[in-house]
Amino acid sequence: MTPWLLVGLPVAAAVLGVALRRNDLLARAVAVGLGAATLLVAVLAWALADGSAVSAGPGLRAGELAVPLDLVLDPTRGALAAVVALVALAVQVYSTWYLETDDRYGQFAATVSLFTGAMLLVVVSADLLLTVVGWEVMGWCSYLLIGHWSRRAAARRAALKAFLVTRVADIGFVLGIIGLAAGAGSTSLSAVLAPWRRPTACIDAALADGALAGEALTACGAPDGALRATLLVLVVVGILGKSAQVPFQDWLADAMEGPTPASALIHAATMVAAGTVVLAALFPVFADSPAARWFLGVAVAVTMLLAALLAFAQTDLKRMLAWSTVSQVAVMLSAVAAAPPADGADAGLLHLWSHALFKSLLFLAIGWAALAAGGTAAMALRGSAAAAPVLRTGFLVGFLSLAGVPLVVVGGLSKEHVLVTAWDGAVQADGPGVLVLVALVLTAAVTAAYSTRGYLVLTAHVRQQPTATGVPAVVHGVLWVLVLLTVFGSLVVLTGSFAVHQVSALWMLLSVLVIGVGVAVALRGGFDRDPAQVLARRFVPVADAGLGVDLLYRRVVATPVLRLARLVAFVDTEVVDAYVRGSAVATRAAGWAGARLHRAERPSAAVGLVLTGVVLLGALGVLAWS
Amino acid sequence: MSDLVTIDWPVLAPALAPAAGVVVVLVGDAALPRRGGGRWALPVAAVVLLLGALAAAAAAVGAGAQTLRTLCLPAPDGACLWTAGPRTSTLQAGILLAAAAALALLHDGRPRPRDRAVSATLLLAATTGGVAVAAASDLGSWLVALELATVPAVALVALRGSRAAAHGALTLLVTSLVSFALLVLGAALWLTATGDATFSADTVALAWADPQRRAVLVLAVTLLVAGLGFKLSLVPFHAWTPQAYATTDLGTAVFLAAASKLAAVAALLVPVAAIVGAGLDAPALVVLLGVPAVASLGLGTVVALRQTDPVRLLAWSTIAQAGWIVVPLTALDAPALRAAAAYALVYAAATTVAFAAVARTGARTLEDHRGLLRRDPLAGGALGLALLVLAGLPPGVVGLVVKVLALAPPVNAGVWPVVAAGVVAVVVGIAVYLRWFTVLLSGSGDRPAASPAGPVVSQRATRVVLVVGSAGLVLASALPTLLLDLLS
Repeated sequence: MTPWLLVGLPVAAAVLGVALRRNDLLARAVAVGLGAATLLVAVLAWALADGSAVSAGPGLRAGELAVPLDLVLDPTRGALAAVVALVALAVQVYSTWYLETDDRYGQFAATVSLFTGAMLLVVVSADLLLTVVGWEVMGWCSYLLIGHWSRRAAARRAALKAFLVTRVADIGFVLGIIGLAAGAGSTSLSAVLAPWRRPTACIDAALADGALAGEALTACGAPDGALRATLLVLVVVGILGKSAQVPFQDWLADAMEGPTPASALIHAATMVAAGTVVLAALFPVFADSPAARWFLGVAVAVTMLLAALLAFAQTDLKRMLAWSTVSQVAVMLSAVAAAPPADGADAGLLHLWSHALFKSLLFLAIGWAALAAGGTAAMALRGSAAAAPVLRTGFLVGFLSLAGVPLVVVGGLSKEHVLVTAWDGAVQADGPGVLVLVALVLTAAVTAAYSTRGYLVLTAHVRQQPTATGVPAVVHGVLWVLVLLTVFGSLVVLTGSFAVHQVSALWMLLSVLVIGVGVAVALRGGFDRDPAQVLARRFVPVADAGLGVDLLYRRVVATPVLRLARLVAFVDTEVVDAYVRGSAVATRAAGWAGARLHRAERPSAAVGLVLTGVVLLGALGVLAWS
Repeated sequence: MSDLVTIDWPVLAPALAPAAGVVVVLVGDAALPRRGGGRWALPVAAVVLLLGALAAAAAAVGAGAQTLRTLCLPAPDGACLWTAGPRTSTLQAGILLAAAAALALLHDGRPRPRDRAVSATLLLAATTGGVAVAAASDLGSWLVALELATVPAVALVALRGSRAAAHGALTLLVTSLVSFALLVLGAALWLTATGDATFSADTVALAWADPQRRAVLVLAVTLLVAGLGFKLSLVPFHAWTPQAYATTDLGTAVFLAAASKLAAVAALLVPVAAIVGAGLDAPALVVLLGVPAVASLGLGTVVALRQTDPVRLLAWSTIAQAGWIVVPLTALDAPALRAAAAYALVYAAATTVAFAAVARTGARTLEDHRGLLRRDPLAGGALGLALLVLAGLPPGVVGLVVKVLALAPPVNAGVWPVVAAGVVAVVVGIAVYLRWFTVLLSGSGDRPAASPAGPVVSQRATRVVLVVGSAGLVLASALPTLLLDLLS
C-alpha cells in the first residue's frame, strides 16, 4: 500500500493544486502540506523497508501480454524516494518565496507536484508500463516547467527544444521497453528480467561438457544476444536523451530559462536522474550485454569530460551548474556502465542520492544569489554569496561536494564509490571499465577546477555588498537543512541501503591528488581573477554556445526532416491526391453522362431500355448457363 | 366453401384491413358524397392501415419462428395460397406503415388532392396488393396481387392532373404494362419448367436437374427479374422513376419509393426463396441478379451525385438502394433473404423520413435547405439522420449494419464483382448524401431565413411521420438486433 500512497499523494497535490490555482494561499498550503506528507511517507517507507516488498497492482491482460502494474519497495528505492521527496519539498517551500509575485504560481506548484509523483512512480515501479508512464509524464512536466515564463520567446524555445530532443530519444526508449516486454510476455520487471538474463551457470556447465557455444546457448534457452543488445541500446538511447548525454546534451543548458526552483527539481532529483534509476532496475539484464555497456560507456565517458570542460568556461554560472549536472549524471551512469555484474549498480544510485542533495543546495542558493545580484552571469554574481551567511556556507559545502573532496562531504564519498566500481569493472575487463576510469579521473580534475572557479567568483570581495531583503526564515531553514544533509549525508552508507564496498585509503589519496591538480590549475591566476578568463579566454564564447550543437541539431536533424516533410507533402498533394481528384472528376463526369442519357424522359425510351435489358439479361443468363 | 379451402381470418388481417378500407371509403363516398368535402376519407384510410400494420406486427412477433398458413387447399396436400413467416409479416407491417406515411403526406400536401376518396381508395388498393403479394405462394395469386399493387399506383400518379404528371404516368403505365407482360410470360415459363403452379423448392430442384427444363427455368427467372426490376427500379428498368417522382405529389412519391418498393422486395423474395430452398449451384442465376444490381449501384449513385432537386436526388438514390437490396441475393443463400428484407425496411424508413422533411420544407433545390438544422431542428435533424442512415455513417448506425449485412453473403459466397461494386457504391454514396448533409449543417449564409414553403399550413401529419420515423431510425440504430430479430 505504501508505494501507492507515495505516488498518490503528489498526484493528489497536483490535481488539487490545479483546482485551487486561483487562490495562491490554498495552492501553497496544498503544495507544501502534501509535499511534507509525501516526505513523511517516504522516510517511513525507507525506515520500515526490509527486503524487497511488492505491492500488487490491478493486474490487466492485454492480449498475450500480462500487465500486473505492481509497485515495489526496498531499502534502496526507499532511500531514493526519500531524497526525491525531500528535494521536492525543499523546492516547493522555496517556490512559495521565489515565485511569490508570479501570477501563475498555482500551475507551477501543481506541475512540480505532478513531476514529483511521476519520478516517485519511476523509482518504485516494478512494471515497465508504469515506468514508461512516469517517464512520459516527466517529459511533459519538464516542458511545462521550463516554459513556465511562456511570455518570453527564449523560454518557449527552450521548452520546445527540451521536449523535442527528449521526445526523439524516447522513440528508442519506448521501442526498447516494448521489445523487452514483448519478449517476456509481461511488463512486470521481475518477469522481464528472468527470460532476458543469460543462464550463465547452465551455459558454463554445457561448455564444460564440451558442447559448442551455439549448442550451449540453445540448450539453455538463452535469449538472442543480438536482439537483447539492440533493445537495450534503444533503451539507453532514450536514457541518454532524458539525461542530456551526448549527443542529446544541448537541451539541458537551454532549460535554464525556466525558474530556478524548476531547474533544481529537474537537475537534482528527477528527470535527468531517472535514467540511472531505470537502468539500475534493468541492471541484471544490462550487465549481460557487453554491446549495450560499451554503447553507454562511450557516451557517458565523452559526456562527462566534455560537459565538465564546457562548465568550466561558461560565463553564466547557472549554465555552469547545468553543464555540471550533465557531467555528474554521466558519472552516475558510468557506474552502471562499468560495474561488474556481481556488484550491481548501487554505486551509481548512491551518487544519485548525494548529487540530489548538493545540486539542489547549489541551485537554490544560486537562485537566491542571482535575485540579490540581479543576474546569473558570472560578472553579476561576483561576490553575491555575501548576501547571507547561509549562502557562503552553502556554496562552500556544495562546491566541495561537487568537486568530490573525500571524507568531508556527501559528494566525495559517492564519487569514490563510483571510482572503485569503475576500477573493479576495468580489472575484470568485461566492459568499458578502463575508458570510464580514465574519463572519471580526468573529469574529477576538471570538476575540481570549475568548482573552485564557481566558489571564487561567488565569494569574491566586492565593494558593494549585494543584499536580498525579505527572504523568509523558512527559506533560510531549507538551505540550512540541505547544508547539513550535504555534510552528513554520507552517513547513509551506514544504513546499508546501498550495497557498496569499502573504499580504501589509497583511492582517497589518489582523489585528493587529482582534485589538488584541478584546484591548482584553477588558481593559476590568483584568487581575484576568474579562472575561466585566465585559462580559457578564447574557449569561453564557444562554450557559451554549447559548441554550436544547437546549429548542428538544426542542420543535421531539423532541416532534413523539414525537407523530407515538404517532399512528402508535395507527393501527397500532387501525386497521391491527383488520383483521388481524378477519381472524383471521373465520378462526376459519369454522373453527368448518366443524367444526360436520361434527359429525354419519353415512354418509348423507357420501354426501349426495358426490352434491351431483357434481351441482355436473357443472353447473359443463357451464356452463363451453357 | 369451407370444404374447398380453409380460411383463417386473423392471419389474413393485414390484407383484409386495407381491402375493407377500400369498401368503407367507397361506400361512404357513395352514400354521403358531400360529407365534409370528403375530408374523412384519408383519416379513415390511415386508421385502417395502422390496424393492418398492427395485425402484421403481432403476427411477426407472436408467431415466433413458425409460418402462418391459410387458404389451404385440400389437395395437393399442404398447398396453401397464403404463407407468411416472420420475415413476410414484418415486411407487410413495413408496407402498411409506409402507406400510412404516404397518406399523411398526401393529407398535408399542397395543392390538396382533388378527390380524396379516390386517392384513398387507390392507395388502399395498391397496399392490399402489396401485402398480399408478400404472402402469395402460388403463381396465380402472386401475379394478381402484384398487378393490384402496381396499377392503382399508376392511377395515383396520373390523378394529379398536371401535364407533366400525365406524362410521367404515361411512362409509368407503358413500362409497367411491358413489365407485366414479361412477368406473365415468366410465370408461364416457370410453370412450364417446374410443372407446379406454386413457388416450391422441391419442384425447382427437380427442374434444375433436367438440362432442358433448366434452360426454361433460367429464362423464366430472367423474365421475372426483369418484370420485378421495373417495380424495384433496377437498372435498366428504372427510367420511369425520376420522372414519376418529380411530377407527382410527395405523398404518391413516398408510396412509390417506400410501400411499393417493399412490396416489390416481398414479391422478389418469393421466387428467390424457392430457388434458395432448392440449394442450387447456379452461376446463371447469380449473373441474372448480379448484373442489374451492379448496374443500379453504379448508375444510381453516380447520377444522384449530379442532382440538385431533392426529389430527383431521392429518386436516383432509390435506384442505387434497389441495387443494394439485390446485392445479398446474389449469394443465393438463406441469410441473404434476411439481409435483403432488412435493407429494404431500413431504406424505406429512411427515405420516408427524407421525403417527409422535403414535404415539410417545400424545398425545390438542395440550396433551399441551407442552414435547415438551425432554422427547423425537427425537419433538419430528421433529414440529417435519414441521410446518414442512407449513407451508412454513424450515428445512423443501422444504415451501416444493413450494408455490412448485405455485403456479407456475397463475400461468403465469393461473388467478388458484386462486392467490389458495393464498396465503390458505399464510397460514392457517402459523397451523395454528405453533399446534402453539409448544406443542412452550414450557416444560412446570405439567404434569408424564410423558407420557400409558401403559405403556412397545418403539417401535423407530416410532423408525426417525421417524429415516428426518426424515432424508429434512432431505436434501430441503438439496438439493431431488434430489427434483425424480427426478420429471422
